Amino acid sequence: MATVTLSNVVKRFGAFEVVHGANIDIKDGEFVVFVGPSGCGKSTLLRMIAGLEDISGGEIAIGGKLVNDVEPADRGIAMVFQSYALYPHMSVEQNLSFGLRMTGNPKADTDRRVKRAAEILRISELMDRRPKKLSGGQRQRVAIGRAIVREPQVFLFDEPLSNLDAELRVQMRVEISRLHKELGATMIYVTHDQTEAMTLADRIVVLRAGHIEQIGRPLDLYDDPDNLFVAGFVGSPKMNFIKAQIIGHDAGGVVVELAGQEKTRITQPLAGAAPETGSKVIVGVRPEHFGSAGEGDTDLVVTIDVVEHLGGTSFLYARTAHGEDVVIQRDAAKVPTTPEVTVSIRKSYLFDEKGLRLR
Amino acid sequence: MRNRNATAYRFLAPYLLIFSVFWVWPIISSFLISFQATRTVPWRFAPGFNWGRLIGDPAFFNALQNTLLILVIQVPVMIALAMVMAVLLNSPLLKAKGLYRFAFFAPVVVGEVAYSAVFRLMFSLDFGIVNKLLNSVGLPKIDWFSNVTPAMALIMIAVTWRWAGYNAIILLAGMQSIPEDVYEAATLDRVSKLKQFFYITLPLLKPVIVFCLVLSIIGTMQLFTEPFLITERGGPGGGTETLGLLLYRQGFRSLNFGYASAVAYTMAALAIVITLVQLWLTREKQ
Ligand SMILES: Nc1ncnc2c1ncn2[C@@H]1O[C@H](COP(=O)(O)OP(=O)(O)OP(=O)(O)O)[C@@H](O)[C@H]1O
Ligand SMILES: [Mg+2]
Repeated sequence: MATVTLSNVVKRFGAFEVVHGANIDIKDGEFVVFVGPSGCGKSTLLRMIAGLEDISGGEIAIGGKLVNDVEPADRGIAMVFQSYALYPHMSVEQNLSFGLRMTGNPKADTDRRVKRAAEILRISELMDRRPKKLSGGQRQRVAIGRAIVREPQVFLFDEPLSNLDAELRVQMRVEISRLHKELGATMIYVTHDQTEAMTLADRIVVLRAGHIEQIGRPLDLYDDPDNLFVAGFVGSPKMNFIKAQIIGHDAGGVVVELAGQEKTRITQPLAGAAPETGSKVIVGVRPEHFGSAGEGDTDLVVTIDVVEHLGGTSFLYARTAHGEDVVIQRDAAKVPTTPEVTVSIRKSYLFDEKGLRLR
Repeated sequence: MRNRNATAYRFLAPYLLIFSVFWVWPIISSFLISFQATRTVPWRFAPGFNWGRLIGDPAFFNALQNTLLILVIQVPVMIALAMVMAVLLNSPLLKAKGLYRFAFFAPVVVGEVAYSAVFRLMFSLDFGIVNKLLNSVGLPKIDWFSNVTPAMALIMIAVTWRWAGYNAIILLAGMQSIPEDVYEAATLDRVSKLKQFFYITLPLLKPVIVFCLVLSIIGTMQLFTEPFLITERGGPGGGTETLGLLLYRQGFRSLNFGYASAVAYTMAALAIVITLVQLWLTREKQ
C-alpha cells in the first residue's frame, strides 16, 4: 500500500506541453479516478506514474519515495491497459505467471499467486485458453489478474472498461469496486465516462487540456463544482446553463435576471466579492432542480420539444422564451400535457463570464 | 447468374489461355518429356531412361549435395542475419531509418549480371578488396575461385548479401504488427529486453519466419545465377554446380530435354518435401 504524490508534474512532447503542472496527493488505499474529455492528458499522467513516459518537469513520489528516475518495474505499480495487452501466444495461466517466471520467482510462490488471482477473478476454468478464445470481459479479467499477481502497492487502470458493452461495463465496475475493498491497494483509474468516475471513486480528479480543474469526492464535485467545466462534466444529463445578468444587490445577496426574461429573477447569497451590477453571468441548473410552478425561488416558462420517458423518470427537452435549451427531469406521473409549461428553479449555481463559480 | 458467370469467364479467357499454354502445358509436357529418351530422333517413350540415369549419375549427386549444403548453411545464416537487421531497423535508437531500409532492400533490385560482376571483382585474387582487407589484418589471401570450399563460401556470401535485406524487411513488417503495449506490459513485469525478444517477439513472429524460410528454401533450391556467373558455371570443376546449373547444362547445352526435365521435377519435389517437413515441424501445436 502506498501514497502517490505528484508535484508540479509537467509533460512535453517536443515543444508541445500536454500536462501543465499537475499537483495531486493520493492517500494510501484511496481509489482515485482521473476523468476528462479525450486528449486531456489522462493517459499521459497515468503513464508517467507508471514510468512508461518520462517526466518533463516536477516530481512523482510513490510511498514517499521519489520515483522520477526509478525503473517502471521497481515502482511497485501494476497497470491494466485499455487494449488489455495480453500476450497472445500464451495461455491465461502463462499470461498471469510470465513476469514472475521470467524474474526467477520461486515456483511455489508463483503458483500460489496465480491461483489466488484466478480465484479472486473467477477465471480458474479458463487457465488453459489463449486470449483469442476469451470474451472481452474474460480478457479484461485476465489483464486485471496479471496486475494482481504482481502484488503491487498501486494499481493503474487506463480506461479498462471502454471496450466492453454497456451491461458488462456495469458488471465489471462492481467487480473493480469489490477488488478495491478486497485488496485495499491504492488505485488510480482513468476514464472519460463520468458515470464510472462517480460510482467508483473515493476522489475524482477532473482534467481539461492538461490542467486540473478540480479534485474532490464525487458528491462534492456534483454539489459544489468550482467552475463551469466541472459543473457541466459531472452529472448526466448535464447541468443546464442559462445566460443571465446581475441587476442589483439586496439583503439576500446578489440579484440575477435571466437574459431576456424580466420576470425570472434569482437571489443568491455570495460569501466572496459580488460582481458589479450589469455583469454577465451564467446560471447553472441541474435537470432535477427544476420543480413545479411555485415550488422554488423563481418561475420560468418553457416550451417542450421532446419528452423522453425512461420509466420512473422522464426528461423534458425544452426551450426558454429566450431560445436556450434546457433539460428538465420529472417524475413520469407529472409530465405536463401542454407544450407550454411553467417550472420553478429550486437550486442554482452562478458562474462568472470566465466560467468560475461565484459563491 | 449463370449468364454472369459466363461473362466473367469470357473476360478471363485471354488470361486463362495464356496461362494454360505457357504455364500449365509446360508443366505437364516436361513431366511427360521426363519419361522420354530425347537424344534420339524421333524422341521415344522410355520410362526408365532418364530416371534410371538420375539415380546413378555422380554429376546429379554432386549437384544435389552442393545445393543441399548451400541450403543448410546459407538459409539459416541469412534468416538470422535478416532478424538482426530487422531488430536494428525497428530500434528507436537508430537514426536515418529510411536510408537503412533502402540500403538493405537495394540488392534485390540490382541486376543479377551487374551484381555478379561486382562480386567477381571484389573477390578477385590479386585486385579484390576482400583479399586486400584480409591482407591488411594479417590474414593470407584466399583464392576464392580456384578452390571448392572458398568458392562455396563465396556463393553463400553472395546469395546472403542479395536476399538478407529482403527478408529483413518482411520480418520488420511482422515486428511492427506486434502491439507496443504488449512490450510495455512486459517491461512492467520486469522482463528484460533480451527476454522480451526471445519470449515475445520470436514466438509472435514465427509465422513470418516460417514464411521467409519457405521462400528462401524454394529460392535456394533453384539457385542458378550465382554459380553460373560468379564461379563461372559451377567451377572450380563442378565444385559449385547446383541442380539448377545441371538442369541448364543438360537441357540447353546438351539439348537433353528428357534428363533436364527429370532433374527439374526432382528439384521441385525436393523443395515441396523440405517445405512440408518444415511446416510440419513448426506447426501450431494445440
Ligand atoms: N507520444 C506522443 N507524442 C506527441 N503527442 C502525444 C503523445 N502521446 C500523447 N500525445 C498528446 O498528448 C495529449 C494527451 O494525450 P493522452 O493520451 O494523455 O489523452 P487522454 O486524456 O488519455 O485521451 P483519451 O481519452 O482519448 O485516451 C493529446 O493531445 C495527445 O495528442
Ligand atoms: Mg487515454
